[in-house]
Amino acid sequence: MRLAFILGEIGSGLRRNVSMVVSVILVTFVSLTFVGAAGMLQLQINQMKGYWYDKVQVAIFLCSDGSTAAGCATGPVTPEQQDNLQTLLESPAVAQYVNDFQFESKDEAYKHFKDQFSNSPIVDSVTPDQLPASFRINMKDPQKYQIISETFSSQPGVETVIDQRQLLERLFSAMNAASLVAVSIAGVMIVCAILLIATTIRLSAFSRRRETGIMRLVGASKMVIQLPFILEGVIAAVIGAALASGTLWAVAHFFLGEYLSKQYPDTAFISPGQTLILAPALLILGGSLAGISSLLTLRRYLKV
Amino acid sequence: MIRFDNVTKVYDQTARPALDNINLEIDRGEFAFLVGASGSGKSTFLRLVLKEDRASSGAVYVAGQNVAKISSWRVPRLRRGIGVVFQDFRLLPQKNVFANVAFAMQVIGKSRSVIRDTVPEVLKTVGLEGKENRLPHELSGGEQQRVAIARAVVNRPGILLADEPTGNLDPTTSMGIMGVLDKINQNGTTVVMATHDDDIVNEMRKRVVELKNGIVIRDEARALYTSMIPVVGQSRRLKDASGRDEEPPTPGDRQPGAGEGQR
Ligand SMILES: Nc1ncnc2c1ncn2[C@@H]1O[C@H](COP(=O)(O)OP(=O)(O)OP(=O)(O)O)[C@@H](O)[C@H]1O
Ligand SMILES: [Mg+2]
Repeated sequence: MRLAFILGEIGSGLRRNVSMVVSVILVTFVSLTFVGAAGMLQLQINQMKGYWYDKVQVAIFLCSDGSTAAGCATGPVTPEQQDNLQTLLESPAVAQYVNDFQFESKDEAYKHFKDQFSNSPIVDSVTPDQLPASFRINMKDPQKYQIISETFSSQPGVETVIDQRQLLERLFSAMNAASLVAVSIAGVMIVCAILLIATTIRLSAFSRRRETGIMRLVGASKMVIQLPFILEGVIAAVIGAALASGTLWAVAHFFLGEYLSKQYPDTAFISPGQTLILAPALLILGGSLAGISSLLTLRRYLKV
Repeated sequence: MIRFDNVTKVYDQTARPALDNINLEIDRGEFAFLVGASGSGKSTFLRLVLKEDRASSGAVYVAGQNVAKISSWRVPRLRRGIGVVFQDFRLLPQKNVFANVAFAMQVIGKSRSVIRDTVPEVLKTVGLEGKENRLPHELSGGEQQRVAIARAVVNRPGILLADEPTGNLDPTTSMGIMGVLDKINQNGTTVVMATHDDDIVNEMRKRVVELKNGIVIRDEARALYTSMIPVVGQSRRLKDASGRDEEPPTPGDRQPGAGEGQR
């Protein structure tokens, strides 16, 4: 009975100020979309980092079938060449710059590749043979990349030496800056959302002061009096959060999945499914923002 | 049922107290009028009983409980034991008669079937059977006040507080309302009614507590033995008996069965 009553009160409250409720929905929708966009950029950065990015700085790619580099004149890397390279890596002259290194075979390379590009069509056209084996080096000082490069570039069996960070760092710093902008906009919008929810709840409490006055007099509990107002704000905010989640999914599906991944086939993009990780966070954030702001408002404007 | 122990209520430090050291006891099942000029503190008295305001000093007991000691989450329970009626009815305009009365039961979580059984019964008590589906604006003032009374008593409170319930009604309609309040009082509910209407007080011949500037200046019990029967026919004769004399205040001085001219 009490539940049915509270639901009825919420319904009438939502109907009574439709325009305010719609504006709460829209403001939370926009603000949470920005929050979600920042989250998506971070997910995308992680996706692009792949397996090795956070573990090593320098990769020495070894010759494979089609390699044309000078060091690959003798064809694919031989076991002796590979042993020589490992000995050189362990020699004191080089080891003083190296924290740690690992060998990635063609099969391992294929596995990591598949993980990173799981959302791209490219994964189906690649076989383990096409991917080079490599040594992955964690540098004591990443700035000393030149030393490794000079030492190994001309070695037989080495196709190329790459400083991974140099390739991606600039892009990542741009993406991080974009996330920061998104978060700042989201922050301003969230302040708007909180104030708007507070105003809406205040208007709602004012327009129903007759009912709440009577409820007080006949001894309704604080919860029964306040819950409809709080849930009114929470429901509007959660609808906004759901719209934001849907928008993020649509961006991942249509913009990243259908458009960007065709423009840049050699870049790993997040899947639409991954954006759904953000949805519960957005729903909880929206709901609790509304809940807290209406609770604080009611404390001042709805004496019990 | 209601006891005031040296209760003083000060709203504004610069003005005189709204209630000044009130000592008063209203027993279970009693019917008491609070009379006095505007600003004498009648509404303040009722607000203190409801714990809408707290006394500046002294203690207010309701049903044996010191209301100052009731924690805020238990105040609703105190109020469930007290029905309230106002001069301006305070009905919900978009709800019909039945729904207005049912509202008081819904918000405290009474089941649908209990509501279906109780509301018509209470509407009958206040003389509104057959008008369940009317909206407030389709009712006369007297009928609206009956709805408000039905709402106040539907949860069977031990106390009914009425703040000038006949203030907006003509004398005949007012007497009808008094009949309803008397019937409710006869069912065992303690009734305290603040009013300016001396005709009604005289005709009812109940206990009268007169306030002036926040002080009890008169407390008389009248016609206690016949109070169970509404005394419509005797109004003119009893009018002379209304002790409306302006004598020095004697707070808390109650004289059961006091005669004419006595304080
Ligand atoms: N909320 C308040 N704040 C400040 N002063 C108040 C407040 N309520 C009442 N008062 C003052 O307290 C005094 C008693 O007021 P109260 O409403 O109890 O009188 P009353 O007897 O009910 O008058 P009336 O017959 O006009 O309803 C008045 O002087 C009034 O101005
Ligand atoms: Mg008053």
